[in-house]
Amino acid sequence: MKNKHQYVCINCPLSCSLELLEEKGEVAEVQGAECKIGKKYAEEEFKNPRRMVTTTVLIEGGELPLLPVRSKSSIPKALVGEAVKALADVVVKAPVKSGDIIYPNIVDTGVDIVASRDLPKASS
Amino acid sequence: MKKVRKPDVAIVGAGPAGLAAALSAKEAGLRDVMLIERDIELGGILPQCIHDGFGSIIFKETLTGPDYAQRYINRVGKTNIDVKLNTLVLDLKPNKTMTAVNSTDGIFDVEPKSVILAMGSRERTRHQILIPGFRPAGVITAGAAQRYINIEGLMPGKEFVILGSGDIGLIMARRVTLEGGHVTGVFEVAGEPGGLTRNVVQCLHDYDIPLHLSHTVTFIHGRKRVQGVNVARVDENMKPLKETEKFIECDTLMLSVGLIPENELSKKAGIELDPVTGGPIVDERMETSVDGIFACGNVVSIYDLVDYVSRSAEAAGVGAFEYVNGKKRSGRAIKVVPGNNVKFTVPQVVRSLERPVSLYFRVEEPRLKVVASVSVNGEEVARKKERKVRPPEMVKIDLKPERLSAAGEEMKEIQLEVAPSEK
Amino acid sequence: MKSKARNPMEKLPKKVDLVIVGAGVTGCAIAREATRYTKNVVVLEKECDVADGTSKANNAEVHSGIGEKFGTLKQKLNVRGNQLYDQFVEGLNIDFKRHGLLMVVTPRTLPEDMTHNMPEPVKKFIFSKIIPLLIISNGKLKGIPGLKIVKREEVFRREPNVTKEAIVGIHDPSYGLVCPYKLTIALAEHAVINGAKVFLNTPVTGVRVENGMVKGVETNRGFIETEIVVNAAGVFADEIAEMAGVGGFEIHPRKGATLLFDREATQEYVSGSVSEVRLFRKVKSKGGGAMPTLEGNLQLGPTAIEVEDKLDTSISAGEIAEIFERFYYLFPNFPRKEVISAFSGVRAPTYEEDFVIGASDATHGFVNVAGIQSPGLASAPAISEMVIGILHDLGIPLKERDNFNPVRQRPKLFAEATREEQEKMVKSNPRHGHVVCRCEQVTEADVVNAIHGIIPATTTDGVKRRTRAGMGRCQGGFCGNRVSKILAAELGISPTEVTKDGESSPLFVGSAKELLKG
Repeated sequence: MKNKHQYVCINCPLSCSLELLEEKGEVAEVQGAECKIGKKYAEEEFKNPRRMVTTTVLIEGGELPLLPVRSKSSIPKALVGEAVKALADVVVKAPVKSGDIIYPNIVDTGVDIVASRDLPKASS
Repeated sequence: MKKVRKPDVAIVGAGPAGLAAALSAKEAGLRDVMLIERDIELGGILPQCIHDGFGSIIFKETLTGPDYAQRYINRVGKTNIDVKLNTLVLDLKPNKTMTAVNSTDGIFDVEPKSVILAMGSRERTRHQILIPGFRPAGVITAGAAQRYINIEGLMPGKEFVILGSGDIGLIMARRVTLEGGHVTGVFEVAGEPGGLTRNVVQCLHDYDIPLHLSHTVTFIHGRKRVQGVNVARVDENMKPLKETEKFIECDTLMLSVGLIPENELSKKAGIELDPVTGGPIVDERMETSVDGIFACGNVVSIYDLVDYVSRSAEAAGVGAFEYVNGKKRSGRAIKVVPGNNVKFTVPQVVRSLERPVSLYFRVEEPRLKVVASVSVNGEEVARKKERKVRPPEMVKIDLKPERLSAAGEEMKEIQLEVAPSEK
Repeated sequence: MKSKARNPMEKLPKKVDLVIVGAGVTGCAIAREATRYTKNVVVLEKECDVADGTSKANNAEVHSGIGEKFGTLKQKLNVRGNQLYDQFVEGLNIDFKRHGLLMVVTPRTLPEDMTHNMPEPVKKFIFSKIIPLLIISNGKLKGIPGLKIVKREEVFRREPNVTKEAIVGIHDPSYGLVCPYKLTIALAEHAVINGAKVFLNTPVTGVRVENGMVKGVETNRGFIETEIVVNAAGVFADEIAEMAGVGGFEIHPRKGATLLFDREATQEYVSGSVSEVRLFRKVKSKGGGAMPTLEGNLQLGPTAIEVEDKLDTSISAGEIAEIFERFYYLFPNFPRKEVISAFSGVRAPTYEEDFVIGASDATHGFVNVAGIQSPGLASAPAISEMVIGILHDLGIPLKERDNFNPVRQRPKLFAEATREEQEKMVKSNPRHGHVVCRCEQVTEADVVNAIHGIIPATTTDGVKRRTRAGMGRCQGGFCGNRVSKILAAELGISPTEVTKDGESSPLFVGSAKELLKG
């Protein structure tokens, strides 16, 4: 007996509708993928779904009160909420450059959170 | 008397379109490029779009909005482009003279040799879709909410109902959830989601936020602050069905019910607008009906991907360079006629047959397995297969100059249609 | 000249000559007129701004009185009020324009059941000749000047988009336009300049009466001694009267909804105020029409719906449909998608459908100015004139003060100024170079001026009414956060404390990350 799992590929605007057939916890087949990335995506979504984290942290002395940040790579989907919560307590100081590490190894995923833009000091 | 600046090109708006247009004009060879932005920084809407998913076409990787903007801002910083921040253009005349104002220069005129309009779009409001009810605090458009939450650091609500499944609404459903708010549901009057599929997946499915298709908000409760809304299913004519109406308690109604190209300046300049897109009618170098005034990005039509906005801006930048250097357009305008299942195209007219033309279009109805076909005098000159087309997602089809010129000089119009692929 | 009203802890004066309850157009007009005779005037308003009730939500029309029933107080004060208007607004520094009204006779002018048996020539004669003559002679009887018949072709020349079913028109040149909240703000400020005090956020909780005489007024911030109370509390006038032991009338709210359209899109479509003549109808309203505002936005409305709740300023799907049905007939192909706003106000009629103005016999010193529904805006000059007469009888000095200042100044808005003036404005105040509302071209300086006005704007709605920021086609999408920030900075409060329209209308639930931290 094969179980069906539906996914929608998010790697490109084509948004392929994917169907993954599972047998005893293993991937048997992926249908509907336009490319290899799509097939791999369905397998990932089934085994270990991961997401990028994008949120903001408070920044002091900057031109704006918030600094947008992102994870350097994806982290397990289930940990995104926890990561955002952990980042709610972070306050950084301006200036910041895009790519600066804001929070290393977020929720023990081994993935760093980095600044998503330059944020200079407030001019006055 | 103040000296009137006479740049080669003046670009109105420094969002993704304006930034790319300025760089393109500069790189094409224009010396004096003036970039006018009303906000305190460059980037337009991008700095508040902190989610990722930008740049997959141009940079072949997925970036956040601020990252995407930063790449262009860094490039602008390395040029001598004259950036005017905190500056609003008040008026634009058909002869391209513009009047602007800021705190340091006061009111000043600019007499540019060419103009690129890149003002972007604004959000449709509750009144434009006439939602009945009270007018309390707590009714907010998704883009405005995004600005408060991601830039200003203010939470506009806690318990949300979202009307409209446009991309910003979907993105904001996830965003307010991550920031500690709660979204009871997203209600969409159409039978199809209004945003990209990946946003439906990553913003709603991931967070178990229900999407109610064929539903709308029928009443806003609360005299001072939103206390709740009525929602109801709609029939095939999008009329609410009274018997399905129910009350949902919330403190905020967030709207994602469409964007409208911002064309007040275009109207002042006497530019001809396309009633379907709401933006200027442009040709392949993004020149409007007024000589030397170009337009790009969402001011022309609402694009689904920022990459396409940047591409349209690059064309406008090159167009402005050509115009300033004496390459006037040909008098002949070949209309691109939207045929079967094509809502509109950008550009709407083609003048030059000497260069590749990227035709962007939206379909009217979602379809599986189709062929987009461009023909001239009954003869096909370009063809593209699509596994799936949906109104929210733009389709791009490239026209090769040799195929176009082969169609001959007496060409009157170019037809584009989307039909089921054979077999 | 900072307002006294801004400080919520500000104490009321111990004793004044006159307390006016309600800072709508009626209360503020009376206050301004009263300050010609005495400085000792206090206006109490329960909301956070003047003109925050019915006065902010009407159609800005200064009616001539042609629609009012002959012989009523309402009709007399309307006609007189209209004639006094130029004098009334003099020195206030606001716009008033007599733009006239074109009344159009159509086949719907008489109800179907009255006409379906009429032979065609008779019908034609009645519609094209009798009805206009009746309207004009009726108007003359009421004292309305300048009424003229407008031939069918002339109707189309003036209004090319009006329905081809139009039979004939009547032009009433007395009709005027005035912005109701700008007028009310101006009147209140003019009163304050001349010594009156306006207390906002100050609901009246009781009227103290001893031996049949008014002794004072109880409020949330204490007691104020006075021998004269003017009850101009709008939809709540019956409740205030009750507090003074004065009965005899009941306000039953009647809602009126209006749709507002984009200026640029509709300016060419309709050039002046136009209404359709509908006779022998059961609806208790003048019928409304298509009316421009002073700024040129077209309005369609209002409706007239009886409601239970005096605060029911909602607009229903049925009202929207009704407005479109009515005005589509008058203006077929009207660009309906250009709607930018819809608003609703609650009228305050009594069951007698007439104004209730007079000193109470039961409670000496208590003056009702109640039942002021449309045409209250047009009647305001005559109402205040009449009330001043009553106040004189009650002992307010008859002699005009020598030092009454006839002029209320206000800072010019950037958008109102000429190019040359704008250049000067930016030079003298660089904050005029920062445009915060692109649709209406409102500058930071405009907003700051509104916040520091004599009657200050303390909310985003208050700023909107004074500057038009947020009133344009994007309805605050762009300027909302800019205005909130300026309000917070100028009022010295946190941005999370900024409200749309006072207490219970916060714009934000907290600042970033607060919800996540619990």
